[in-house]
Amino acid sequence: MRRRFALPALTIAATAASLLVAVAPAAAHGYISSPPSRQANCASGAVANCGDIVYEPQSVEAPKGSTQCNGGGSRFAVLNDTSKAWPAAAAGQTVTFNWVLTARHSTSTWEYFIGGTLLASFNDGGAQPGATKSHTVSMKGFTGRQTVLARWNVADTNNAFYSCVDLNIGGGSTTTPTTPPTTAPTTAPPTTAPTTAPPASGTWKAGTTYQVGSVVTYNGISYRCRQAHTAIAGWEPPNVPALWQAV
Amino acid sequence: MASRLIRLALLLTLVAGCSAEQPAATPAFNSADVMFLQMALEQIAEGDQVAALTEARATDPALREISTELRTQWHEEDGTFRRWLLGWQQPLTAPDSADAHEGHGALHMLRPTDVTELKTANPFDRTAISLLLGHLGNCVETSRMEQTAGAYPPTRALATTLTTRRQSQIQRLLKLAAAS
Repeated sequence: MRRRFALPALTIAATAASLLVAVAPAAAHGYISSPPSRQANCASGAVANCGDIVYEPQSVEAPKGSTQCNGGGSRFAVLNDTSKAWPAAAAGQTVTFNWVLTARHSTSTWEYFIGGTLLASFNDGGAQPGATKSHTVSMKGFTGRQTVLARWNVADTNNAFYSCVDLNIGGGSTTTPTTPPTTAPTTAPPTTAPTTAPPASGTWKAGTTYQVGSVVTYNGISYRCRQAHTAIAGWEPPNVPALWQAV
Repeated sequence: MASRLIRLALLLTLVAGCSAEQPAATPAFNSADVMFLQMALEQIAEGDQVAALTEARATDPALREISTELRTQWHEEDGTFRRWLLGWQQPLTAPDSADAHEGHGALHMLRPTDVTELKTANPFDRTAISLLLGHLGNCVETSRMEQTAGAYPPTRALATTLTTRRQSQIQRLLKLAAAS
């Protein structure tokens, strides 16, 4: 009886051995855990309906040079979705970004951007990162709600790993409303008192309660309120499409 | 009456004996099952070093609690994985694991230097959280591979459970990371 077991078992194992490469796990690698990146907010459950990224926040890998949060292409495109309610972490002018690494690729550089501005670049000269990785980066005077794009450029491949981190720089911690603007508002968003008003011109003001249809100006552009709310720092009209529509 | 009971017991023993041998004729596992179990055993051995240190040294009680939970679950999972591999007469470690460590495979592993770094890390908690998050991320990838490619239903079912368990721990660790 035991012999009969061993033979077919080995045959099956041998036949299937050729499949080993095909089922090897995807080579995944790293993301920023704090302040939480968009993929970290998806994986932690802070942001819902993110798709498969919740299983592999470390896998946002794409060819180098993209300025998109998903690194370009269609995979994990949810990370580029500016209408999603990404929480913005409160931050000062100096921010320490902490990476989680699931593979230690030899590294050329780590780069941090806001818009087209390079905030910092760290050259590892092809070295392998250690157990953890963190960088302290100056925000170069940027304030209010901003999205920092971080790129981990791998030395020995054409690819980079991308992580976008939403920050409320120089302001209080806040989250954007989660109610989609298409539905009638039932409750006002939380009314956290603003700690710092962003320097900006216009009639928009943190602390003001706006009704649907209210029109404000902000940095020379007019916006119409889409959802009743009390404004707080970080919810400036250009930052929160769920609340304000440019007119 | 007594003899009938004995006869019945004897019969049950015989039936049980036969049925124990029965599935042997149709092994229902494949190489992905074997690889998953071998990798998972290795991941437990590595992860337990970090979890043990974290359980003993972390400042945040929530972090210690996650480490204790991990160690308890890993201990139980380890026993199950070994029983399956032994039952299938498969080795507990991959025969080519030494080669894998030389190549890309090593990139995904916790290294002795990681544990050394953690021992002297300041602040300890942040380094422990990052190491555990990285390691559990790899564990999820391994169990998701089994969910897709494995054949033996109980192993696939356990892999689904493992993904849920590790995801829950990752979620809590991410919240600790975001709050720190």
